[in-house]
Amino acid sequence: MSAVALLLTLAFLGLAYLAPGALTNVFGLVALGATAFLRLPPQTRTLNLALLTLAFTLGLVRSGNTLGLIGLVGVLVALTTLPRIPTWIRGLLGLAILLLSVPMAGFANTFIFELGIQIGIYAAMALGLNVVVGMAGLLDLGYAAFFAVGAYTWAIFGSEQARNFLAGNFPLPGEYMYLFMLIAVATTALTGLLIGLPALRLRGDYLAIVTLGLGEVVRILANNLDHPINFTNGPQGITPIQRPPIDWFRSLMERLGIRLDQTTDYQLFFYLLVLLMIGLVVLVNLNLANSRFGRAWVAIREDEIAARSMGIPLLPTKLLAFMTGAAFSGVMGVIFAAQRTFVSPESFTLLASITILGMVILGGMGSIPGAILGAAALTILNLDILKTFSEFVRTSLPQIPSQVDPAKYERLVFGLILVLMMIFRPEGLIPEKRHKAEMEEA
Amino acid sequence: MKALEVHHATKRFGGLVAVNDVSLTVNQGEIFSVIGPNGAGKTTFFNLLTGIYTPDEGKILLFGKDVTGFSPDRIAKEGVGRTFQNIRLFGAMTVLENILVGMHVHIRVPYFHAVFRTPLARREEKRAEEEAKQLLEYVGLLHRKDELAKNLPYGEQRKLEIARALALKPRLLLLDEPAAGMNPKETEELQAFIQKLRKELGITIVLIEHDMRLVMRISDRIAVLEYGSKIAEGTPEEIRRNPRVIEAYLGKGAAGGVA
Repeated sequence: MSAVALLLTLAFLGLAYLAPGALTNVFGLVALGATAFLRLPPQTRTLNLALLTLAFTLGLVRSGNTLGLIGLVGVLVALTTLPRIPTWIRGLLGLAILLLSVPMAGFANTFIFELGIQIGIYAAMALGLNVVVGMAGLLDLGYAAFFAVGAYTWAIFGSEQARNFLAGNFPLPGEYMYLFMLIAVATTALTGLLIGLPALRLRGDYLAIVTLGLGEVVRILANNLDHPINFTNGPQGITPIQRPPIDWFRSLMERLGIRLDQTTDYQLFFYLLVLLMIGLVVLVNLNLANSRFGRAWVAIREDEIAARSMGIPLLPTKLLAFMTGAAFSGVMGVIFAAQRTFVSPESFTLLASITILGMVILGGMGSIPGAILGAAALTILNLDILKTFSEFVRTSLPQIPSQVDPAKYERLVFGLILVLMMIFRPEGLIPEKRHKAEMEEA
Repeated sequence: MKALEVHHATKRFGGLVAVNDVSLTVNQGEIFSVIGPNGAGKTTFFNLLTGIYTPDEGKILLFGKDVTGFSPDRIAKEGVGRTFQNIRLFGAMTVLENILVGMHVHIRVPYFHAVFRTPLARREEKRAEEEAKQLLEYVGLLHRKDELAKNLPYGEQRKLEIARALALKPRLLLLDEPAAGMNPKETEELQAFIQKLRKELGITIVLIEHDMRLVMRISDRIAVLEYGSKIAEGTPEEIRRNPRVIEAYLGKGAAGGVA
């Protein structure tokens, strides 16, 4: 067994050096699967994972094929979930992937950075929604509304938009973005309070429908608040939005011996910023899960009556979960607005809410590595695999009508994945032990 | 001051009067039982006391304070712990976590301290955990602390539910059929346990129970419900002799036969 897995891995390493590309990466994924699922002694497994990291990185740097990124995400997941790997190796390899492999790949193909940032933003939001759905069991179908509020909070004041209704020197300089990340925490938590106060009196399906409606209200407000006073600039959206100045970052990188050019400097900066935010969000998630609040959320999810009889007030506790989730989303909204320098209502549709929920469900409700994996899988699927496949179909089979263009079937594929999940692995890819226990009970 | 005073409590569900003009008082430190045939309204009565239902008429006073219409969580904060007829543990949580949920109102960690797990939050959590372990030791479940609650055997689940109610540090403990499904030996242990609680912790205990042997042995006083109305109240000896009670349990004519 170990010989097979090791051989596959070494073969992949060789291929990644000699003939990097999509096919090689598919081969790499097979090697990764063998490493993860075959019965291997921990030493072989650890060695294999290290070699795979090296090989995927090499392949990415040499070819820029984005399948390699999936491989790296896979290695990360293997590192967090497989048993009996020394902790320092988990940490070291994980950091190497996030801080070395992905940036190096990003310099080879800037789309990797774009993907990394998108995954990061969605992962942080999925972690926020994880508090609401995974811990507290509140089915929120309007989560993108908070993302929108966060994004517009900075978009309006970080562009000339605010001049329409306020006297002052707008746009605010880019440094203010950091301050607005804090302000967005407040504005989105407040929005969470406003939406939650009526909605959280309901339960289950009713809550889902009402949050769906109120989420749409926020998007439609963004769409229509361009008159009588122009707050949001309507469907055209707001652009350009200020980014924080990063001269300090450039000189810091230069001191480390990395020369950044005009396109990669901001991408690397935002990539690292998003990583930092994910770290923070994971930390807060863990802290809350192990506090009286986390326990109260789980208690309410499991049995409202028993929880209330323990002195846990229903509405305030649910509101707190709702506002916490909202705040995570709000901060990521600010980063999203700054990174794109453009926001419009289109980014905050119902589909966005459902996609984020899908990430949480796909990964496993309540599970932190699950939420991150779910975000990575669905983002890569949406932004990369289907598009690549479309291009492949268009170039190699031009006679096929455009109606069957795979990129148009994003939702179909997405739906299929969820249906298959519900049939074969309803507890998610990386189930959390508590949800798994509940599933077994049912 | 009485531990519990109920004045003319009535609860209707549509045309059905589940609890009909029931008044009773429970003294501090007493073990008080509520008995009655199935469907007599005992559990509804408990749900009135714990705020799950609001009485349509009447008043409920806890330790002299009017709590009529309070929500369950506020009643819990007033120092009322309870268990349920069909055990309602948090099955997917560990034994220790169940106790910690019970201690919710006694763990004083403000939200922002919890978010950043400040030294204060750490200290409080550690203290709470120690206290929870002590409580588990007290009820004899410490060796089970890391098991999921749903994996415990039935008798221990019952015990854990009482322990969770105790974590609230209640002044008044309401037990809904604590001996249901227990064999005679377990029931005897339960009796000793309830008496220990009163003696060592000074808690007032009100219980609903079908096991007459337990009720007669353990209670200071007993109230009997039938069709939602209180038909008798008194010491076990008085209740045993009360013809209306015998009639309610054994049917008309039985009272004469027994007497």
